Amino acid sequence: MEGIPKNRIMDEDGIRRAISRISHEIVEKNKGTKDLLLIGIRTRGVPLAERIQKRIAEFEKVTLPLGLLDITLYRDDLSTIDVQPVLHETRVPFSIEGKTVILVDDVLFTGRTARAALDALIDLGRPQKIQLAVLIDRGHRELPIRADYVGKNVPTSRREIVSVCLQETDGRDEVLLLEKKS
Amino acid sequence: MQWRHKDLLDLDTLTAEEIRHIIKTAQPMKEILSRPMKKLPTLRGKNVVLLFYESSTRTRTSFETAAKILGADTTNFSVAVSSVNKGESLLDTAKTLQAMNVDLVIVRHSSSGAAEFLANVLEAGVINGGDGQHAHPTQALLDFYTLQEKLGGFEGKKIVIVGDILHSRVARSNVLGLKKLGADVTLVGPPTLLPDEMKYLGVKLSYDLDKELPGADAVMALRLQLERQQSGLFPSIREYSKLYGLSLERLKKTGKKTIVMHPGPMNRGVEIMSDLADSVQSVIEEQVTNGVAVRMALIYLLIGGGTGNVVD
Amino acid sequence: MWWIKKALVLDPAQGYTGERDVLVKDGFILKVGNFLEEDVPEFFGQENLEGVKIVEAAGKYLFPGLIDVHVHLREPGQEDKEDIRSGSRAAVRGGFTSVLAMANTKPVIDQRALVEFVRLQGERAGMARVYPVAAVTKGFQGQELVEMMDIREGGAVAFSDDGLGIQNAEIMRLAFEYAKLTGCPIISHCEDENLAARGVMRRGEASARLGLKGIPASAESVMVARDVLLAGEAGGKLHIAHVSTKESVMIIRTAKKLGIDVTAEVNPHHLLFSDQDVGLTRTDLKVNPPLPTKEDQEALLEGLLDGTIDMLATDHAPHTWEEKAKPFPEAPFGINSLETALAVVWQELVEKGKLPALKVIELWSRNPAQRFNLPGGTLETGSPADLVLFDPAYKERITAESMESKAQNTPFLGQELQGFPVMTWVGGKLVMADRKVICN
Ligand SMILES: [Zn+2]
Repeated sequence: MEGIPKNRIMDEDGIRRAISRISHEIVEKNKGTKDLLLIGIRTRGVPLAERIQKRIAEFEKVTLPLGLLDITLYRDDLSTIDVQPVLHETRVPFSIEGKTVILVDDVLFTGRTARAALDALIDLGRPQKIQLAVLIDRGHRELPIRADYVGKNVPTSRREIVSVCLQETDGRDEVLLLEKKS
Repeated sequence: MQWRHKDLLDLDTLTAEEIRHIIKTAQPMKEILSRPMKKLPTLRGKNVVLLFYESSTRTRTSFETAAKILGADTTNFSVAVSSVNKGESLLDTAKTLQAMNVDLVIVRHSSSGAAEFLANVLEAGVINGGDGQHAHPTQALLDFYTLQEKLGGFEGKKIVIVGDILHSRVARSNVLGLKKLGADVTLVGPPTLLPDEMKYLGVKLSYDLDKELPGADAVMALRLQLERQQSGLFPSIREYSKLYGLSLERLKKTGKKTIVMHPGPMNRGVEIMSDLADSVQSVIEEQVTNGVAVRMALIYLLIGGGTGNVVD
Repeated sequence: MWWIKKALVLDPAQGYTGERDVLVKDGFILKVGNFLEEDVPEFFGQENLEGVKIVEAAGKYLFPGLIDVHVHLREPGQEDKEDIRSGSRAAVRGGFTSVLAMANTKPVIDQRALVEFVRLQGERAGMARVYPVAAVTKGFQGQELVEMMDIREGGAVAFSDDGLGIQNAEIMRLAFEYAKLTGCPIISHCEDENLAARGVMRRGEASARLGLKGIPASAESVMVARDVLLAGEAGGKLHIAHVSTKESVMIIRTAKKLGIDVTAEVNPHHLLFSDQDVGLTRTDLKVNPPLPTKEDQEALLEGLLDGTIDMLATDHAPHTWEEKAKPFPEAPFGINSLETALAVVWQELVEKGKLPALKVIELWSRNPAQRFNLPGGTLETGSPADLVLFDPAYKERITAESMESKAQNTPFLGQELQGFPVMTWVGGKLVMADRKVICN
């Protein structure tokens, strides 16, 4: 989605610090790393989950299992959109039964993506707990969903777009606030 | 790229890029098939009608499974239970389906062109599940998926298709698609089942299987309709099998780890020997699994998303 | 009485074309020539002058009404497709003043009473002259000959099981022998059923591409060869319907050289459409014999030009819309042709220099009249005034509403064609003017 840049919400350092803080909070809240799993929501939740996995490994010396989730088939807007979204593989090569799953995404907005991810996850098994980690929470929820770990809360208007760029997918680390072109 | 299709009728109208997109879309579908919990909400509330004028438990079940996993409701409008056998015309059946506001119709019919006929009448999407001797695009696409998975690609791969080419919609659709994907295809069969006019396909035609086997990466046996013997198209099953039957021993002539395919159901001991059908070189059972994945992909592509740009 | 002025007259019987006046009196041709204004009253007779209608025909062609030796009028039994009234109205709109109605109705025309019914229905309609063709074998069974003499008395002008080929060679031979009593030709629909094997289009690369069951060219040609040999042996008269293969043309050419009494017709659609035009949804082009290859088309045209093929005929075969609205293999064979045939032949063959105008009239009027011993086909003084005034500039879009035929199974539906009859007379009576049939 095109937009006119308004300001930079986070730079490379900001993103790094947020990831680091979320990583610590995850371990703290769950009292260690036992039974923890990371699952990134495609597309940008995946590199974020990888970074969290790496950060936790640095200070806990434990590499958490990491899965990828494609939520396209769980979207509730498929019959109303014009475009044809590309399907990607969901890869969760371990059992989630009885585990604590940390779902990772870039932006929490209406909550519909998270809702789809919860449905997709539950189709894979019955975890003990599911927690949600996001880099940005921009408000405007349409469903009763909240994040357990937030990198940064950014108050926005609906006319604005939050654009998360990551080295792995976009070649640079930054979060921008854009104004929708009218 | 844009997904511009309401229907899937044949391979003529698909580009190589579109074929690759279908194969790519089938990959995540195959992962879903391996789950203990095989049910998606994707097509909840969509109605898929299975309109089968020819009995084919395999193909119908494959489509039905695919549609159900995606969460659609399926309705069987089959010959035995509907007005089809009371002589209602296909046009009237189409009007009935239109009035029922169905989302997708999967049709198998003994008349070439029946799927296109339906597609022209219906607002709903139509998938051709096999029409006469014309086309069987989903079989071809599942074969491509299997080949992609096993051979890693198509460019320069030698694929031998052997059997009753003349009457085979499977062979037709396969050749059309494989040519687009860059494979090197050879058709083999006796002259009565591989007449001269098949040269329109623009691939190599041969009567001698043993001569064509060396270097083959994949060999596909077609089902022989045994009743064609009565029409004089071949003298006996024994002679056919001797000339064109695939066995483990015969397949050694390829000099490669060739894979063997068959669209099913097989006539064991006729076009394919059991020792080969049950060997590690056989991918016949995987073709069945891939068939469900590919059909899920097609159903999703036709009625899941929109007809605008393909976005990632 | 009619005084048709300054028409471009095409009369193959007298071998001329050119600007002439044509005078019609009492249903017959009175005179054709270049007359001085003041001479004409004398020809009609001063006392008759009030009844003379004048037609200014400059720039339009006038020729003897076309005679179509192959139409299916569907009556009795299939009046939903066509009947003798609608078919003979379509005929005069298309420039045909005589038609030979084929016998494959329900029931088939295999008895004198049925022959007389068809003839009478034609007379009641009062449009084109309708000549019944009777079956060769009872019930089209291909086993026993019909009462040919009685049937001829009833008005049949030829015998044919058209729609089906007579598979038993001995029956065909006997038919040629027995028909000598009648002097009528046997019209043969040449099709070997085993070779045709329920195919739906010409066998070849096009049928292979579409996955449609093919009919090999030999399904026709072997029967053409058989029939010319049988006719030669038995000494009967043979007319071969709808020739569509180059091999058939070759065989007929040879047979004529051998002195066998054979004539042949070709249908316009076989000259204008080929197997390459067939598509899975083009049931309007599903016809039997099936559309030929381009090579065949060249041979057919050559045959028409060198006299091997004697006539054009429409094989007008109406079918309802519902019957054609089916997948290709299930739709019936046949093209609705009477109202478009002359226009498309003119537009595609005459205008493009492939067939001279005079030749077209010879093929479609004079030769059929001679072969089937019918009135018409000439503008000689004293011949019946079956006439067509043809405007080569007239354009018309073919629509369901404009057609007189009950059915619309024409590949030209929705298309604009150029070159149409604008007036048609049968026996001196004007039956069509300004593209509209004149009701009594
Ligand atoms: Zn015929």
